[in-house]
Amino acid sequence: MRPYFTHASAFRASGKASPACEPSRVVTFLQAMLLAVLQGVSELFPVSSLGHTVLLPALLRWGIDEGSDSFLAFVVVLHLGTALALIVFYRDDWVAIVRAFVATIVRGRIGDDPNERTAWLLVAGTVPVGVLGVLLESSVKKLFASPIPVSLFLFANGFIMLLGEWLRRRQHPSTTLRQAQGDTVAYRQLPELKGTDGVMVGFAQSLALLPGISRSGSAIVAGLLRDLRHEDAARYSFLLATPVILAASVLEFPKLFVPDAHGVLAQAVVGGVLAGLTAYASVAFLTRYFRHSDLSPFAWYCLAAGAVSFVLFATKVIA
Amino acid sequence: MKQLALLLALVFLIIAVLYWTGHFYPAGIHAKHGIVSVILALLCLVWYRFQSATPAR
Repeated sequence: MRPYFTHASAFRASGKASPACEPSRVVTFLQAMLLAVLQGVSELFPVSSLGHTVLLPALLRWGIDEGSDSFLAFVVVLHLGTALALIVFYRDDWVAIVRAFVATIVRGRIGDDPNERTAWLLVAGTVPVGVLGVLLESSVKKLFASPIPVSLFLFANGFIMLLGEWLRRRQHPSTTLRQAQGDTVAYRQLPELKGTDGVMVGFAQSLALLPGISRSGSAIVAGLLRDLRHEDAARYSFLLATPVILAASVLEFPKLFVPDAHGVLAQAVVGGVLAGLTAYASVAFLTRYFRHSDLSPFAWYCLAAGAVSFVLFATKVIA
Repeated sequence: MKQLALLLALVFLIIAVLYWTGHFYPAGIHAKHGIVSVILALLCLVWYRFQSATPAR
């Protein structure tokens, strides 16, 4: 859930508030804590944080004014908390990657050091999502940031992950997942990817501009299709998430200082800390999970959640 | 390729200035667009640096 990936700016742009009832100006502490946990979990789990933050308040009829300056300030702090959690979790990696990045520029070439290659793979994967995000986010959100399209995209997100798993199994037909994890010939390590592979993963995660499509899910699927194991694809996705979330948070940082934001700062601080803790726990869990398991459970969840949400909103059970 | 890298860097810098001064489509000041343009210009300069460096033995 990146600030420029959020539904909040879209609701503002389209002039729509939360659809349930008369919007309230400020999130309560309870709402702040629930949204923070939702952000921390769904940002890294491949289930679309943006999709969930559109759907959940609508399903619960919270009536938050998601276009208000106070809510945008709150969301910025949640993202800062998430980005800091990722930096702390991968702190050793980031130190090595930044050092390697600077070394390549000083030397004028990329050597064989895995960290140097990883650094430039991160650049290759970040540029597409950065450029497309800045150019397209507001127009995409104007079109799609409402519960029914989000439900359909969430369903599509599940389908994309199942399709990715099916294609991966076709690429490596002779192995089951567990056998494949130990198959060092068929699979590549992250630093073995080419720059074009990184760009492809970058374009894949740009699909998350569509609310309901998961950034981490689409990036992991793209990584799998470039012959990464689940574990490496997830690590690449989480490393890619850090500059994207951090940059977006920094760009939106001035929103914390608008007058309307003062009334929500306490909730934002509590939410930011909670989002950070939850994100840390999520990335710790997922890095272990993907050593032995695949995307299927998340795919089936997205299919079910998308279908149920679509029925509820389309039949106006929830207006 | 060295010249192309420098040319692209210059173009992205000009685009950034135009964004920040509100003279680029769509009309209005677009701070984020300008920042992305500067980052692309910097990457082009790094590309130039890679092209210019002495090859490894």
